[in-house]
Amino acid sequence: MWVRIKNWLEIRIGLDELIRTHLTQYRVPRNINILYTLGFVALVIFSVQVITGFFLLVYYIPYSEMAFKSVQDIMSTVPYGWLFRQMHVVGSSLMVVMVFLHALAVFFMGSYKKPRELTWIIGTFLLLITITFCLSGYLLPWSQLSYWATTIATTIPTAFPYFGEIVAKLMKGSEQVSGITLNRFFALHVMLLPLIILVLVGLHIFLVRRIGISSPPFGKSPEAAIAWTEYRHESHPDGSPFFPDFVLKETIMVMVVCAVMFFFITFLPTLLLPEEANIPADPFKTPAHIKPEWYFLAPYQMLKIIPNKFLGISLQLIILLVFILWPLLDTKEEINILKRPRLCVFFFFSLILWIVFTIWGKYS
Amino acid sequence: MRYILPLFIILILPPPASQADWKEQFEKEFLARPWAGSQVQKDVCIECHSSDMMKPETRDIPRKWETSWHSQNGISCHNCHGGDPKDAENAMSPERGFVGTPKYAQVPEFCGKCHVGILKNFLESGHGQALKSSGKGPNCVTCHGSHGIQKANINIINEKLCTRCHSYERVKIMKQALFLTENKMNEIEKNLKALKAQGVFTEEEEKNHFSTQAQFRTLFHTEDVSLVRNRTDEFIKKLDQSNVKIGKTFDELHFRRNFSAFLMVIFAGMAIGFWLLSKNPRE
Repeated sequence: MWVRIKNWLEIRIGLDELIRTHLTQYRVPRNINILYTLGFVALVIFSVQVITGFFLLVYYIPYSEMAFKSVQDIMSTVPYGWLFRQMHVVGSSLMVVMVFLHALAVFFMGSYKKPRELTWIIGTFLLLITITFCLSGYLLPWSQLSYWATTIATTIPTAFPYFGEIVAKLMKGSEQVSGITLNRFFALHVMLLPLIILVLVGLHIFLVRRIGISSPPFGKSPEAAIAWTEYRHESHPDGSPFFPDFVLKETIMVMVVCAVMFFFITFLPTLLLPEEANIPADPFKTPAHIKPEWYFLAPYQMLKIIPNKFLGISLQLIILLVFILWPLLDTKEEINILKRPRLCVFFFFSLILWIVFTIWGKYS
Repeated sequence: MRYILPLFIILILPPPASQADWKEQFEKEFLARPWAGSQVQKDVCIECHSSDMMKPETRDIPRKWETSWHSQNGISCHNCHGGDPKDAENAMSPERGFVGTPKYAQVPEFCGKCHVGILKNFLESGHGQALKSSGKGPNCVTCHGSHGIQKANINIINEKLCTRCHSYERVKIMKQALFLTENKMNEIEKNLKALKAQGVFTEEEEKNHFSTQAQFRTLFHTEDVSLVRNRTDEFIKKLDQSNVKIGKTFDELHFRRNFSAFLMVIFAGMAIGFWLLSKNPRE
């Protein structure tokens, strides 16, 4: 039976050749490491989000009067609804972590350099889209936590004088976060963002396959030493096969991340769903200790400590721009970050600063 | 690209004159909120009563209130005393509903504006009758206190407090009659808190419990021991039903934890399996 299906496909789409060129004979650098699997892990978590999101969508009611109740029903009445919701909640944070780690790994490996500038830029947009996904999804349960965290997040743009107010109003649809905001965020979360992310992921993967996987800068790769004066595919003829070698590495990482996901669901089920997540949204009652989501804590704290708010938000925009356009700004040819001490210090200093601001924001 | 970015920075940084109020607006919207570390605007009752203009005993009222059960439940000065907490000039204006401090004998009606059921039973009780007839009986504040009022519990009934006016013999019998039900209610309350802390939506169960508790407490303000004893079974039955529901929820949480732990172990096991396989993938 299996052979007949295989033959049927072979005649129609050339299955053997497809497997050969894209899996078994597709080569990756011999010294490739586990950090190269993070992009695939992020993609798998995105798939988990799509599947769990679909099940949540079956029971969720995107109407401010009913949203909280429907989410509570998912948690208590719907069979295994709690599991799907917890997976979706933990998965969203894990996705941010994985995309962010992927970006850090690419930066550290110097893989953003010529000819992969476009791959990096699309990747940074994917990070921004992931965060927007989280922001829009955070409001949907319509709890005190989600309502007030969204209020903070949608107030931040108002610090920007040119179009801050317009952006905030466009997000909220009214003066305050309201049912209109919920509808907007819902439409964004389940329709527009998935379409954008699919296009960007498609482009990102296309570029990775078209240019070829970059070699880690810490070993000898004669191919990487050739100057990029015209288009060529980095094929790594002496590398190891994509399947099964690299696919196994990716599978191990996916399993580890899934185990981490269930670790959080088992032992820390209230880490991302604290008590305020079980109180319906009340626009007239501001909780005393509300904070934005963890990935917004650093910009939030930065905004709090810089006396001039405009300067604060402008600085953040500039940091973001530098982050997106980094491959165009860093024109030095040296790929190995360890041979560029100033860049190395800058990399670790920025990372530590971000962690410090996040912790500071949490406990300030 | 090297020139575009600095140019962008130069263009973006100087705030335009046309948007001169952006900073004030932002600070009003963003920084003057509890999440930004600043306090929300206090109501004028608290501001005045905390100031040095007041006598020490009056100045202490806001501090006592802040520790109270009322404060924890969002009940502020104007909810009992009326007036306008947002307008300093008219805060104590009768037109704005200010009633000030009630006279001693009027305290039950003052508290009974909210605690309606308890007021009825209290007025029919020996305490209430004594207060109405002689004006010297105990009122709500005698046992519960006023501004620093705490959540009512069975320990309010104690020898030290009750023997200020009468012997403890009859009170002791009443306390014994209440003991079992009170204990069960406390246990349910503790469990509901534990469930809430574990992310379970308990609002409906809390409302039911609050209603049962209120009915029961209304009952013992009658000081009628036989009535309390007669209705204890009815309350115990209700509380047992709640306990069964809560127990089931705990079982469900237990199952959830075990189930996700099982999935965690499966994935961790598969990770180890694939890792071993990756050691020699061609075999």
